[in-house]
Amino acid sequence: MNGMLFILQGVVTLMLAPLMVGLVRFFKARFQNRRGAVPWLPYVSLWSLFAKDMTITRYSSWVFRFVPFVLASIALVLAFVVPTFAYGVVPPFLSNLFLVGGLFAFGSAWLVLGGMDTASAFGNMGASREMTLAALVEPALYVSLATIAFAAGSWSLDGMLAHEAGLSWHGGALPLSFALGALLLVALTENARYPVDNPATHLELTMVHEAMVLEYSGPYLALLEYAAAVKLTVTMLFLFALALPFGLMHVGASPLAVVFWYIVRFVFASFIVAFIESVIVKMRFYRMQEYLSLALFVALAGLVLVLMQQFSF
Amino acid sequence: MNIDQLCSELGLVRAESGIVEVLREELARQAEALVVKEAPLVFMYATDERARGSGFAVHAVFSVAGDGFLTLRAALPADAPAYPALTRSIMAAHWYERLMGDQFGILAEGHPDWRRLMHHENIPAGTHPLRKDFAWNTRLPHAQEPHLMHQVEGQGVYEIPVGPIHAGIIEPGHFRFNVRGERILTLEGKLFFTHKGVEKLVEGKTPEAALPFVERISGDMAVGHTLAYAQAVERAVGCAVSPRTRWLRVVWNELERFTAHIFDIGNMAGNGTGFTFMAAQGFRMLEELRRLHEALVGHRYLRGAITLGGAHDLDALAQQQLSAQLRKTERELETILDVAFRSDGLMERFETTGVLSPDAARAYGARGVGARGSGIATDLRSEHPYAAYAELPFLVVMEAAGDVAARFRVRAREAAQALALIRAALDSLPEGSAQVALVPKQGSALGWAESFRGAVIDFVQLDERGTIDRLAVSDPSFMNWPLFGELGPGNIVPDFPLCNKSLNLSYSGTDL
Repeated sequence: MNGMLFILQGVVTLMLAPLMVGLVRFFKARFQNRRGAVPWLPYVSLWSLFAKDMTITRYSSWVFRFVPFVLASIALVLAFVVPTFAYGVVPPFLSNLFLVGGLFAFGSAWLVLGGMDTASAFGNMGASREMTLAALVEPALYVSLATIAFAAGSWSLDGMLAHEAGLSWHGGALPLSFALGALLLVALTENARYPVDNPATHLELTMVHEAMVLEYSGPYLALLEYAAAVKLTVTMLFLFALALPFGLMHVGASPLAVVFWYIVRFVFASFIVAFIESVIVKMRFYRMQEYLSLALFVALAGLVLVLMQQFSF
Repeated sequence: MNIDQLCSELGLVRAESGIVEVLREELARQAEALVVKEAPLVFMYATDERARGSGFAVHAVFSVAGDGFLTLRAALPADAPAYPALTRSIMAAHWYERLMGDQFGILAEGHPDWRRLMHHENIPAGTHPLRKDFAWNTRLPHAQEPHLMHQVEGQGVYEIPVGPIHAGIIEPGHFRFNVRGERILTLEGKLFFTHKGVEKLVEGKTPEAALPFVERISGDMAVGHTLAYAQAVERAVGCAVSPRTRWLRVVWNELERFTAHIFDIGNMAGNGTGFTFMAAQGFRMLEELRRLHEALVGHRYLRGAITLGGAHDLDALAQQQLSAQLRKTERELETILDVAFRSDGLMERFETTGVLSPDAARAYGARGVGARGSGIATDLRSEHPYAAYAELPFLVVMEAAGDVAARFRVRAREAAQALALIRAALDSLPEGSAQVALVPKQGSALGWAESFRGAVIDFVQLDERGTIDRLAVSDPSFMNWPLFGELGPGNIVPDFPLCNKSLNLSYSGTDL
């Protein structure tokens, strides 16, 4: 049973990842009074990219060709180890928060190498920005996850979700809401969304993530875009599973409720990302340390509260 | 200070044509004296007069606010045309002198940056297309002339080449950034990739036949360019337009300015910062105005609104249609500007970004919003009123800060002002015909208009048959591009697109 669920959870994430990207774009279009494209357009885009030829500069090495596969593999692993609608199915050692955080960082590092490999000015500019952000985002990422881990008494994402699901609202909700708030800021940064990066821009000079993949085309670009979609989907679904821990799959859960709450969280997460990108302005790059310091301090506040609760008992 | 006073103080003698002849050795000194007397250099052009038995001539045009333009003319020999460069003391001359070097092979001696401007690397050395003995359809061999750009060396300094092909659908232009980290150290542009040769193509054409060429110098500035050109031609042949035409020209000019400011408000606040609301709403309003243009004159970019000796007339129904749409857009503009000014995130991106100092703006001869955002009150509509501007209530809009926010505010306020001017003009629109016949004959004159990008100044010279002998166009973008070298450094690279959008310059207008 658990093995089946483990596989199901990963496969569903992999299948629905492009849909989340499409839904975000769809909601954004609606916020702008546009009709927008159908939400499943990213599937078509990926398909057409896979069917295209590639243009690869001869001034590139094996690193350039290796990176899409590394990123896609990481996305594959993330889809299976990050719980999105069920708990108790991913073995704790696989969804350990340091392992997942490490996978994120590992992916960033390879993407940066891919961006730098062709020695184009934009790739290097994006790489330099990505590394700056990576250094800034890491403390906030680990402190916010550690807050939940302390409260849950488990260092695995799976255990955190199990703890959330069993939590009563008056219990430990306050410190966890701090952690979740910080985690949202972190998730937006990790996925190159507002206010850190603009995924819809055509302005090369302002890009972070897009600058690093600027030289990629065809199937390699499809792999990278798909990997980014999976990363967005798992982070947002995990975050919203923590925030709305209803209808999570476990022994005795009704399948109908699981599906219902999964759809709710999926749509709601896309809506929130689109909402944020419609009401705020992309931040000046040199404000990033303030933004991510905010995330860190909010997370620290949560951590302090959790530790105080634990030691007062 | 008027022109006569200036001339007598500086010992200049005006010929009957109003032009002051000076020796070429004296040109730089006299020009400097004029600039010191607060008559800024606004325009330089050269002419090839070898067919009439003399050599070349270089002209420098100065603006004497309230009293028109003063032109200094220096004759140059046909075999080695050269004169001491004005750029040594007048920054505003630096692109003009390089341009005349490319167009006519006139050497500005002692120019601090004597590189090509208009010609790219594939144009062979010694090509001077505006000389009369150069046929417009000459097929040039493919050359590889070196063009060095400014470089900075040092630890951690690197170069970012951007363009000429861009990710968005914009015209080609190459920008070379030297940065350390994200901070811009120097910034240099290389434009002129799509030369159209308008000045050459119109030679030998009647003014009427040349009008469509002028209309296409910069696609979104059809009224600005045709108005300056039409007024130059009318002045050259001594044609007085009807009062109704003068009022209608204010309407068309202000309608184009209004539409363009709506675009810029949406583009700066929307695309420049990623505030999608402003982009979506701004471009929606822009589209409604473009449709209005099409309904009124039959063209979305107002081609045909200005004619030689006239303007497109508006009947009562068209006036109602115009007023109704403007009322709607005005309300919506107020709403979105309110949202913009209340958005801390947006204003934070705008403020202190891309600061242009008043000194730099003045030195480079900045025009339009670029100058008025830095506290320079330059506006042809008040300095040298044309059409019916002298009879309409009008105050120059100005902001002092010189940053992107200041330019945004200038645009917002000028949009409101454009509406007021359109309404005032429609209210007092004189009866009568909106078109008089124009008979081309020999003559020459300057014509000017304040477009949404700033001053357009045209020089037109018609020969004895009444066809164009020389048309020289001074586009505001040409004057404002070099400003990026001043306002870019010190900013971070991701803020450059915002600086760029705040000036919104035309590549096509520069490379006419």
